[in-house]
Amino acid sequence: MVQHYLKSTWRNLTRNKVYTAINVVGLAIGVASCLLIFLYVQHELSYDKAFTKHDRIYRVVNNLIVGDDVEKASITHAALAPGLAGDYPEIEAATRMIDWNKKVLRLEEKALSIDHVFFVDSNYFDLFDYKLLEGNPKTALTEPNTMVISEEVAGKFFANPLDAMFSTLQIGGDSYKITGILRAVDAAHMKPNVLISLNSLPAELRERFKSNWFSTNSYTYILLRQPDLANALQAKLPDFVERRVAPARGDTKERVELYLQPLTYIHLNSDYLWEAFPVGNKSYIYIFSFVGIFILLIASINYMNLATARSVKRAREVGLRKVVGASRPQLIAQFLSESVLLTLLSLLIALVFVELLLPSFNSLTEKQIPSTYFTNPTLLLLIIGIGIFIGLVAGSYPALVLSHFRPVDILKSDKTPQGGGAMLRKALVVLQFTISLVLIIGTVVVYSQMHYLKKQDLGFTKEQVLVIDIPSGDSAIVSKMPVIKAELLRNPAITKVATAGMIPGEETGVIIFNVERDGKMTEKTMNTIWVDYDYFDLMGIPVKKGRNFSKDMPTDLDNGFIINEAAAKALGWTDNPIGKRIGGSDTTSGRVIGMTEDFNYKSLHSQIEPLVIMLAPENSGSLLARISPGHFSETMTYVESTWQRLAPTHPLDYTFLDDSFNQQYRAEEKMLTIFGYFAGLTILIACMGLFGLASFMAEQRTKEIGIRKVLGSSVSDIVLLLTKDFALLVLVAIVLACPIAWYGMDKWLQDFAYRTQISAWIFILSGLAALALAILTVSYKATRAALTDPVLALRSE
Amino acid sequence: MNKEELIIETENLQKKYITDTVETTALAGVDLKIKKGEFVAIMGPSGCGKSTLLNILGMLDSPSSGAFRFLGQDISKATERQRAKLRKENLGFVFQSFNLIDELTVEENIALPLAYLGVSKADTEKKAREAMERMGIAHRRNHFPQQLSGGQQQRAAIARATVSNPSLILADEPTGNLDSVHGREVMSLLSELNEAGTTVVMVTHSPSDAEYAHRIVNLFDGQIVTENLNVRRHATELL
Repeated sequence: MVQHYLKSTWRNLTRNKVYTAINVVGLAIGVASCLLIFLYVQHELSYDKAFTKHDRIYRVVNNLIVGDDVEKASITHAALAPGLAGDYPEIEAATRMIDWNKKVLRLEEKALSIDHVFFVDSNYFDLFDYKLLEGNPKTALTEPNTMVISEEVAGKFFANPLDAMFSTLQIGGDSYKITGILRAVDAAHMKPNVLISLNSLPAELRERFKSNWFSTNSYTYILLRQPDLANALQAKLPDFVERRVAPARGDTKERVELYLQPLTYIHLNSDYLWEAFPVGNKSYIYIFSFVGIFILLIASINYMNLATARSVKRAREVGLRKVVGASRPQLIAQFLSESVLLTLLSLLIALVFVELLLPSFNSLTEKQIPSTYFTNPTLLLLIIGIGIFIGLVAGSYPALVLSHFRPVDILKSDKTPQGGGAMLRKALVVLQFTISLVLIIGTVVVYSQMHYLKKQDLGFTKEQVLVIDIPSGDSAIVSKMPVIKAELLRNPAITKVATAGMIPGEETGVIIFNVERDGKMTEKTMNTIWVDYDYFDLMGIPVKKGRNFSKDMPTDLDNGFIINEAAAKALGWTDNPIGKRIGGSDTTSGRVIGMTEDFNYKSLHSQIEPLVIMLAPENSGSLLARISPGHFSETMTYVESTWQRLAPTHPLDYTFLDDSFNQQYRAEEKMLTIFGYFAGLTILIACMGLFGLASFMAEQRTKEIGIRKVLGSSVSDIVLLLTKDFALLVLVAIVLACPIAWYGMDKWLQDFAYRTQISAWIFILSGLAALALAILTVSYKATRAALTDPVLALRSE
Repeated sequence: MNKEELIIETENLQKKYITDTVETTALAGVDLKIKKGEFVAIMGPSGCGKSTLLNILGMLDSPSSGAFRFLGQDISKATERQRAKLRKENLGFVFQSFNLIDELTVEENIALPLAYLGVSKADTEKKAREAMERMGIAHRRNHFPQQLSGGQQQRAAIARATVSNPSLILADEPTGNLDSVHGREVMSLLSELNEAGTTVVMVTHSPSDAEYAHRIVNLFDGQIVTENLNVRRHATELL
């Protein structure tokens, strides 16, 4: 019997090619999208789970509290790891990672700028059991001046990455021997390229680390002996602060609180500052999961709708089978096996789609989701299970409708039953278009918000500014900065140059200042950046009150502070902030010398916070150059040759200010692109369904069309007649989708301090677009039906 | 008449259709007895209730009131499941429009009733082959219905109706869609089956088709108006 079902299913599918194509391809697209999203979500949820001890590894983070200001910092004191490991036997091991940022690595003549270089303790691999392609994890990082590099970095220096083993690379003036090559883990919150033995740091510095409870520089990870010891240990941490941290810090008014974060929690949940890598966003996981389910739903609805619409054509078969003895359960089984077979066929095609699309999807999401997921038998079984489930769900309604027909009603040729469930079918079409429209409106809102952010006046001119990375560790280059600046200015296309500790969009420093309030000195934590004399001029940031830093005022170097308007407001210096006393914890001789207008030194997710700008021409991370429009490539050639001449030890590493600032919206941009693709797919699948429905409707109404034409109806009358029902459904969907989309997108926009208005035009235009698409789809079929010779139509009856 | 010999017996069989406000009487008290081995033709003008009667006799429809006994068993109160079982074990249907399934080959169409009866694969093949050979369409076994002529399609339909050796064949205008040559061919096939012992009940408009029957029942406005023995058929049989 099963063989019989399979055979008749196969013949049914091959005989109705349009119907089959719509179903199989639509479903395959739906399943493929859903699988990609599933892989993405699973990848996001799998962060750090590749480390076998992940359930016992915790990161220790700290809240630094001054008055009402809480600074949640993911980097901690270097003394923390050894301190905790020494005090608490439940900690099996503690290890530190100190971020050394981007460094130039040199092998003979080849110099490459490599980011994510870390110093780590020698027991690092006891916690993070990376696969070492070469080297012994137990000993690789014990000796000073040894390093473990990633396979990828090794591949940049050596044709065969494994040849890098035991070679020596230079960083600055120091040599480091490669003692291990690791295979990177993509799904990890830390993706180090280079791990340098912490023992490479000078002995006296390491000694100071042991008692330094002031500056924070280390990510601290601990390995517990049992996963369930975390809560008990957390409860002991206030005591640790009391005993070890507070006494060492003396009478500072800053309070420290320590917290344990499970390793696998960090990627999607951590809201701590100064992460070495951007963390994920949990709400996107939810959004994408919903989108995946919706796409699958829309594709399944197509199956249900087309199957029930087509029931008219299948009715005779049902009647006959009943006449020759088929029972209703047997017919239900037949139709269900038909839909399951169709779903499994789609699944097969979907798997091919996924394999083909995964590389592009990976570059879209900037992940390295492996396709080897499919060699995982449980996952494969799960996918097949899902396929069968969709087949059963999508097939159940048509099966019930079709098996219900009474042979008496069908077998008399002058009677055709109505395609079952016309109301339900309409409701499902409305549902499809509602979902599609919500996604489309969502995409347009995200797009307009991105556009709004980029067009927003930031309070400085971000265009045409070249940002050159200054290798901070290389004092030779830092000391040459004035010469490099002067040389660059010789090119007429370079109008201004300046240096800065950090540029807008980068994380600022956070410092506890002593400030004058109501005649008394109080503590206040504020964001800080370091700049040189030319910074404000180059950035086009007006100094509103007081003056800019001046070379004529030597006191500016230590005692001159410029604040922004927000700081003046926050400190209550509304009438005149100039001359107010301000300084670090150890000085009281500082004065405010100027106040700038507010500018967005952080992303537009947040409002402008108080900012203190200090003069430190030597302490710079970036060299900025404003370039006149035009002659871009000549100017860049000039910059490159100048840099090579004056700083030959370091390759030129540059970006543009507007690009690097917009990097902050990268997560949203990525989401916009992915969202856009999936929204496009849903509307495509929905329209495929509509096309199928319109085909069957035109077929079913052939006789009616014939009679109307004989009675004098024009082609356009008939197209209108056939199209208006569908148009009505889309209109209903528009009415339903608008409030849902508005609600969802309003919530999404709450994440931004600066947000675009959700204009009515977005709804009107999206709705019209969907309507136009639907009408276009249906009217193609309707026109063809209307153009048929009525004589043929009537004779065929 | 000996009751044991009856395959069909109805008493005051009534069928009413109620649509919204109108009540239509299709059968207004039909008393009909059909013996095993008989060939009965039901005739009458359009709308007289012929097809309704045939559907009730074929257990595709149920009467509004009255008694209907099939092989002595009261059917009027049988459930759909019981009727389906009786149907597949005892009845074969032949339709005016052949009603073969387009997606199945001739052989598969013919084997279909056996599949629902749960007959083994080997037996199915054997019986289907025999039925095809009997109807002279074995050479068309792997063709699809639409590749056959009308006459061939109807022979396939008769093969399907008889493959499970039913005791009763119900034929609804079996020659209605055929030309006269093919029509005669189909009628002689039905006659042969009848001579081999199968009871045949046939609805027809065609007096010449009715000639093949032993007995002609004339229906008018849902009632039997005349019942005639077919003298010529009886005469030939007597010879």
